[in-house]
Amino acid sequence: MSTTRFTRRAMIGAALATPAIWGTDAVAQIRRGDELTVGVWGGAQERILREFVSGPMEAQYGVRINYVLGGTVERRARAYAERGRPSFDVIYLNIFESRQAVRDGVTQAPTAEVPNFANLYPSARLGGYGVAYNPVTVVYDRRKVAAPMTSWRDFWREDLRGQVIWPSYPGAQGTAGLLMAAKVWGGSENNIDPAFTNIARLRPFAGIQASQDQLFTMFDQQIGAASVEFGSFTRMYAESRNPNIVIANPTEGQAIALNVACITVGTTKQALANEWVNRHLSPECQRAYAERIYYSPTIRNLELPAELAAKLIMGEQAVASLVDFDWDVVIRSQPRWASRFTREIAG
Amino acid sequence: MTRPGWAAALAAPYAAWMLIAFAAPLGAVLLMSVQENPEPFAPLSWTPDWINYQEIAGDSFLRRVIGNTILLGAGVTIASAILAYPIALWLTRLPARWRPWGFALILVPLLTNVVVRSLGIILLLSPTGVVSGAIQALGFERPNLLFGWFAVGLALVQVFLPYMVLSLYDVLEAQEKRLTEAAQGLGAGPATTFLKVVLPLSLPGLRAGLVVVFLLSSTAYVSATLVGGRQVWVSAMVVFREGLDNLNFPLASAMATVMLGVAILVTLLIGRGISLAMPWAHGRKRRAPLLPVGLARVLHAAAEAVRPVLSPLLFAIGAALLVFPLLLVVVASVNDTPQATVAAFHGFTWRWYGLIFDNPRYLGDTWVSLQLAFATVLAGLLIALPAAFVLVRGAFPAKEALGAAFLLPLALPGIAVGLGMLRLLQWFTAVPAFLGILAVHVVLVAPFMLVFLRASVAGLDRTLEEAAQGLGATRRQVLGRVILPQLAPGIAVACILGFLISFGEVTVTAFLTTARLQTLPVRIYAEATFSLENTVNAISTLTILLTIALLLVLNRFVRLDRAWKR
Repeated sequence: MSTTRFTRRAMIGAALATPAIWGTDAVAQIRRGDELTVGVWGGAQERILREFVSGPMEAQYGVRINYVLGGTVERRARAYAERGRPSFDVIYLNIFESRQAVRDGVTQAPTAEVPNFANLYPSARLGGYGVAYNPVTVVYDRRKVAAPMTSWRDFWREDLRGQVIWPSYPGAQGTAGLLMAAKVWGGSENNIDPAFTNIARLRPFAGIQASQDQLFTMFDQQIGAASVEFGSFTRMYAESRNPNIVIANPTEGQAIALNVACITVGTTKQALANEWVNRHLSPECQRAYAERIYYSPTIRNLELPAELAAKLIMGEQAVASLVDFDWDVVIRSQPRWASRFTREIAG
Repeated sequence: MTRPGWAAALAAPYAAWMLIAFAAPLGAVLLMSVQENPEPFAPLSWTPDWINYQEIAGDSFLRRVIGNTILLGAGVTIASAILAYPIALWLTRLPARWRPWGFALILVPLLTNVVVRSLGIILLLSPTGVVSGAIQALGFERPNLLFGWFAVGLALVQVFLPYMVLSLYDVLEAQEKRLTEAAQGLGAGPATTFLKVVLPLSLPGLRAGLVVVFLLSSTAYVSATLVGGRQVWVSAMVVFREGLDNLNFPLASAMATVMLGVAILVTLLIGRGISLAMPWAHGRKRRAPLLPVGLARVLHAAAEAVRPVLSPLLFAIGAALLVFPLLLVVVASVNDTPQATVAAFHGFTWRWYGLIFDNPRYLGDTWVSLQLAFATVLAGLLIALPAAFVLVRGAFPAKEALGAAFLLPLALPGIAVGLGMLRLLQWFTAVPAFLGILAVHVVLVAPFMLVFLRASVAGLDRTLEEAAQGLGATRRQVLGRVILPQLAPGIAVACILGFLISFGEVTVTAFLTTARLQTLPVRIYAEATFSLENTVNAISTLTILLTIALLLVLNRFVRLDRAWKR
């Protein structure tokens, strides 16, 4: 039954996309005075984009780039509400939302119309244009564990009893935690039971964290020993505030997470949107990401100093080692899993 | 005023605004709640289907969440009322020139970013924190206070206490001081005077405070998310999860509608309870005393005995709760560390202030927020003040129901208003951006102003108006020279709160921000979803300073007290 549903969705999506294809000629060129509206996160991301993408574009083409800042959930809800008649031209989503958005006819699948598309790793070419790998991994306080953590299974070690800070689900960290738990306990996204059974065994938790800020406050207060978090932000936290925190590289791999630039279906600024994405995928912008916030590049044509590269996911092999999942199944199961999570794990 | 025509004319602007700007999102939520198909693009069905309500009724987890949310709201409301009295009384006794500072102190939690405030609660309650230490020093076992109902309750009391204090302030300030002197002259001690004179006369203000704090605390979810550590689930979190994470609008809408129903019921109950407690206001006979005289006497003696300790203790707890975030924010704003929520001091810097002034976007967004807040307060006052008169002085059967209907926007969780607006986005974006957001902000702010103004209008001394009319004053003169001067402190309080609510609103505004119009809180929120930077503390500090400046200016033109009464 779900197959029929997705086929129907895909057809609606295709139907909605058709005018965009007809209108290609009209929107293929960048004209002075054009405006592009981009929905993106604030903070360091916005600053990097202004410096490397919108600033140069405005100077070169005489266009205007509007930023609508916000969180992913509001942005996604709005894009769905405005399907086919978007007020955004480009929106940024997470990996598990972006592929669904393409199928739902909200955003476009990536194409080689964006020249830097050719440089993307395969896993960054789905559901839009991956602009940064930001994998999720095991992080811990070295003072509070008996031995270094080298596996996702280490959460179930005796010395970590009552010391685990589990990430709330849904969310990038919670999704990674759930799926990796399934994987190491013989399950998968299609067989999630082992994850729930085994995560429930970890109770009582030292805490449940709903954001990195929350986790870092817990680490500051020495509440709990280990959690599941983005390696990038945790590294910045460890280097600026708490040298006791270790970003582990588990034997099973780090869980993939990806920021994705998505061009909306129905945008009237196709050429400008393509140009935006292309610049976001330029080596200069990707280098700034890596240097300033430890985001790993999604393009192959970037060289970084060895010291920096060691802190990132760099190169074909490292990218291939990221643990990927069937995101169709994940997003479709989210309501059920979220409900189970509140009943069986937290709450 | 007793003529229905007048009442209708005065209530019309408020009702019209609500119909235009609130009925639409409310209607969208109600309609969504009876949709069977949860798919985001399912065609709208006009045949109601009750499956979502059945799901809520049949789900023990959701039922428990709703029950817990009501209990949390009730607990927070009662605790706020208990802590608010000593502070409100202190404020009325403060010399007039110090009053702006007193107000500023009370408003600190409202001026502080919720993430930063939550950090304060975490620091207070952490295993190594002050409270745990104190409990251990008393010889008890170190308790686990963090990440649970207690922490969430405390966080909510902190942020909603100002509303309770301000709603009590105006009625306490308006009270006839000679009455307490008379009570004391007749031998009543301070505690008895409070229980028999001050408290009963402040009930209209208490009613306003109870309603506002209950509605706010039972629809809040950000604090529960931040300090509840996901051990705590409240109804609005379910609305958020279903509506935004899962895009299941029908279930989210049904949950919001259930919350709305509960909120209306509680509002009516509070109104009824307070009305029963003040029979004199309705010309009814005094009810028989609840307690036998002997027992009452013992209780009064007991109250007098504990008062010298209890009263200062409650004041100290309340004041500490209000002021603590100030300390945190001011220190953090000069702390040399990139993240906003850091407990340890890493060195002194002005960098974060520099960043704000270097960045024209902060200033631009602040300017937008200021314009929006001023316009919102002005429009809110113009529609809420006449409506307050209708609700106090009108004499028509459905008055209580109308009062409850006027407060509906307070009872619907902000997140549900946001979801409703999402459904209407196509129409919304056709309206000029500023006007559209203004319309929504007035919907969110005017009910607050109405609650406060209603209490102030109820406290007006009618004999003064009659005397003025008897001396030949026209209606306009009575309004300008008798009514408005008496209402000035109440209007000032309503405007200050309205201003701050609009200035800080993010839950609904985040859905409505466009490329042309972005407010400061939405920018901060957008940055916080990435990583909250320390500039937010610098902004909070500046906002607190700005508020103090505004209050000082206000105090020059509008009296925050009623000096002529002394």
